[in-house]
Amino acid sequence: MAFTQINGKMIEAPILPGQRLFSQRGAMLAYRGEVTFTPNLMGGQGGIGSMLGRRLANEDTPLMTIEGNGTVMFGHGGHHTHLISLSGETLYVEADRLLVFDGTLQQSTMFMGSQGGVRGIIRGQATGQGLFTTTLTGHGSAAVLAHGGVFELPITPQHPVHVDPQAYVAHRGEVQSKVSAAIGWRDVIGRGSGEAFQLELTGNGTVYVQASEEKL
Amino acid sequence: MSTPYPPQGPVVHDPSTLPVDDNVNPYAFSVRLNGRWFLQKGKMVAYYGNIAFHPIGYGALDSLISTSFHSPTHAADWVVAEGQGHMILADRAYDVNSYDLEEGNLTVRSGNLLAFAPSLALKQSIIPGFLTLIGTGKFVAASNGPVHFVEPPVRVDPQALVGWADCPSPCHHYDHSYMRGVLGGLRRLTGIGGASGEEHQFEFVGAGQVLLQSTEVLMAERATGMVADEPGIPGGGMPRQGGSPQPQVNIPGLGNLGNLGNLGRQFGL
Repeated sequence: MAFTQINGKMIEAPILPGQRLFSQRGAMLAYRGEVTFTPNLMGGQGGIGSMLGRRLANEDTPLMTIEGNGTVMFGHGGHHTHLISLSGETLYVEADRLLVFDGTLQQSTMFMGSQGGVRGIIRGQATGQGLFTTTLTGHGSAAVLAHGGVFELPITPQHPVHVDPQAYVAHRGEVQSKVSAAIGWRDVIGRGSGEAFQLELTGNGTVYVQASEEKL
Repeated sequence: MSTPYPPQGPVVHDPSTLPVDDNVNPYAFSVRLNGRWFLQKGKMVAYYGNIAFHPIGYGALDSLISTSFHSPTHAADWVVAEGQGHMILADRAYDVNSYDLEEGNLTVRSGNLLAFAPSLALKQSIIPGFLTLIGTGKFVAASNGPVHFVEPPVRVDPQALVGWADCPSPCHHYDHSYMRGVLGGLRRLTGIGGASGEEHQFEFVGAGQVLLQSTEVLMAERATGMVADEPGIPGGGMPRQGGSPQPQVNIPGLGNLGNLGNLGRQFGL
């Protein structure tokens, strides 16, 4: 079901019988109709294995399952929200940035090392993503949280994008990312530009960037 | 309301171009003052013209309490702006909106109300922490993010509620199925399984409008004043009626502190 953006900080999602939504716990603002909110022990889809995986990976942001018949409005912590609809691609996002997503999307946890080996691990540390990140695949909508407004930058093979790791929110598509460091003697003596680390994204897809360097 | 894109550069206002009783931008509101307005302490950020700010209860203004404020105990939080000119109101970069009432009533969370025209009467709501405005006129309220209007029937997270207009029945709604059954009992006893954070909502039915703020971050609550210590008044000082005794407050331990804090807020201390 398609979500709608009510304003910069609010998302409305319809829910019909037989469908499921997953959202961060406590992120419901209001609802109409008969809707139930169940805390999700597993922290998302899949069985015990998936749950353990998420626990280990520290991607186990508390989620709740939403079922019923009606419409639900979401928002969280005064952060801006951004709608992303997926049609078969994969979205890479930190679990604590996920506000709400369709039950039709396949959720899993990805080891950063599997995309670029040791470099991937270093990247995870530098961007504050940790060693793991959450992926969503399939057809459906998801809403992510950001501090400040979100804008999309297209990534094409001819035009790689460099993003400040602190402003990075999520990315989708066939994208390789690596941290490029430009550390010189100025950084060593504390006179750096403050932009020593950048996230370089190449391939085909889109990167979502927030207009702030503050974390959630 | 939205900023034009690409940005047009800063807009310079002078007294002739400042909006009359309208928003300057989403975060600031300009009042064309000719006479009096009431505002909460510290919400004025700038003004043009000849405006004096007086605390209520000062000299001749004392009589205002009886006409515009119906609770003498919280009048100390309010300031009267008097004179001619433009007055700009803002509150910590929250979104600011004005609302026009015509022979209507609107109840708003005490911390969200910034200012109101003297043609309105401000009263305490029966619901602790809320204020009701009655009459005809304009008032200005802040919200965390833009305000979204919904029509009942709707259930609202308590923290997302800014206020409501004309709805006769704000009441509590508890997700009963969540506490029921074996799993629910286990959850309640052990805390395992966690809470969804959505077991409790405010429910609105009937005709009217409910105002939502788009986030769950609250603004500091303002004292709404002490309520009379009489039987039948919610939040009043009377012991609860009925069979069950009051919870023993004077047990030594940390629990007391939390209780006192809560009570104090309810009573507006």
